[in-house]
Amino acid sequence: MSRMAGAAGRCLREDPRRILAMGGGGFTMNNRSGVLDRLVLELTGRSVPRVCFLPTASGDQREQLMRFHERFSLWPCETSILSLFHLQRDRLDPREFLLSQDAIYVGGGSMRNMLAIWREHRIDAVMREAWEAGVVLAGLSAGAMCWFEGGISLSGGRPEAVKGLGFLPGSLSVHRNSEPQRWPAYRRAIADGQLPNGYAADDGTALVFAGLHLVECVASAPSQRIVRVELEAGSPVQRSLPLRVLSPAEVPASVDRLAPAPIDAERVAVEELRSVRVLRQRWE
Amino acid sequence: MRRPPQIVAFGGGGFSMGSESTLLDDYVIGLTGVPRPRVCFLPTASGDADHYVVRFYRAFAAGRCEPSHISLFRRETGVADPRAHLLSQDLIYVGGGSVVSLLGTWRAHGLDTALREAWQAGVVLCGGSAGSLCWFSEAVSGFHGGVPRKVTGLGLLPWSNAVHYGDEPARRAAFQGAIATGMAPGYGVSDGAALRFVGVELAEVVGSGPDSGAFFVSGDGHGGATERELPIRKLDQCLFPTQGADGGEEAVAA
Repeated sequence: MSRMAGAAGRCLREDPRRILAMGGGGFTMNNRSGVLDRLVLELTGRSVPRVCFLPTASGDQREQLMRFHERFSLWPCETSILSLFHLQRDRLDPREFLLSQDAIYVGGGSMRNMLAIWREHRIDAVMREAWEAGVVLAGLSAGAMCWFEGGISLSGGRPEAVKGLGFLPGSLSVHRNSEPQRWPAYRRAIADGQLPNGYAADDGTALVFAGLHLVECVASAPSQRIVRVELEAGSPVQRSLPLRVLSPAEVPASVDRLAPAPIDAERVAVEELRSVRVLRQRWE
Repeated sequence: MRRPPQIVAFGGGGFSMGSESTLLDDYVIGLTGVPRPRVCFLPTASGDADHYVVRFYRAFAAGRCEPSHISLFRRETGVADPRAHLLSQDLIYVGGGSVVSLLGTWRAHGLDTALREAWQAGVVLCGGSAGSLCWFSEAVSGFHGGVPRKVTGLGLLPWSNAVHYGDEPARRAAFQGAIATGMAPGYGVSDGAALRFVGVELAEVVGSGPDSGAFFVSGDGHGGATERELPIRKLDQCLFPTQGADGGEEAVAA
């Protein structure tokens, strides 16, 4: 919080609603830099924040769950995971649970599935409540685009415009540098009015919102970009936004040991799945 | 081959429950009436868990059928047109997990209408746990804490359904309570038992274990519910010897 100087600091103080929307990066993408993950905790303003990971968009991929605990064990915080596929040990009320958090970290995957599942479990309304109560909403990819009016998702197989929750005005497209196929789809969606003006963000970057105001753009490396895309005279025009490069997170040496951690039965299962696919192709 | 619309709803059991017995899986394969049926697995309710997909391919090995699966969480890989793929199957097997998440995801991809079409075209539909509840008009889900929630299913079958019925007393009470207060009458099915519907009518109840049971529950007209136990045909020993399914740690959710 101390990093938020000047106008940005004032905005953050006056409006409790905070959203951190990442273009990519963070622990789920096995990113070695922990700066964006650490920023999630910093935005809570708490010394030992409660952070809950919501991996709905990936279908609760087990590797993500493991990496979440691994990454957030680096800093003082209380971690938890909310699954919408598997029973929790104590069948908790998801609303109460989410509202008791300081930060909710939403993972990437299928944006369409995530929002459909949230609706069925009434999590979408809970998210708005949490946001208004000052719980930091953070996420990458699907977990970043969902807060906007819409984004470009591969949920249907090909890149296409998908509607978001609309907490924040405008649209967001993610993985600008690593998944270039999203870019023409984003430009087209803005040009033909499917999506409103918005932002395209690289992996490793994030937009920080206080209320509805973009207070700053951050990056984990100087080469990364966030561009503002606006329709001007019928065609989308882009311009780069100023970024603050975050200083490297203090990542203890133990992380090097943890990063290629054994992925236990899951990895074995995935390898087996691959071999089954090969076998199947022989039959077909 | 022209088949009538058929649904087999397991209370639990089959490969997806980590069951030792392959009787239920063999039974549904037999219903297709073809020597090497095309079988598609829908693991949606589990979030397309990889280890679950692996267990499916192990249980439905390529020697006895043509197995495939559809992942709705990774549409950019795999089957391009889920509807066409589903309509080309002999058997569609729906896995367990959260029925609420299952239905939301299916609706988001139009699988609700595709599955209805497949059913009408004679593709045998089956599944256990969440993969059973989904076919009915209403169900009770014990997924979240507090009061078990009423869930609106696809409604192919105009009944209600409860699974793991003899195995979880709270579920049984919640099901009877919901029917007493206006939910459609329906079927409570325990692990190891399966209902086979032809069209919307129950054709038979089969069982793979000594403790499997199935009940028809309806309102008694006085604000309560009555339960009638249904006769069960015990399935014979495996006709198609296969490797036993391994034990899975999949949480029984529905």
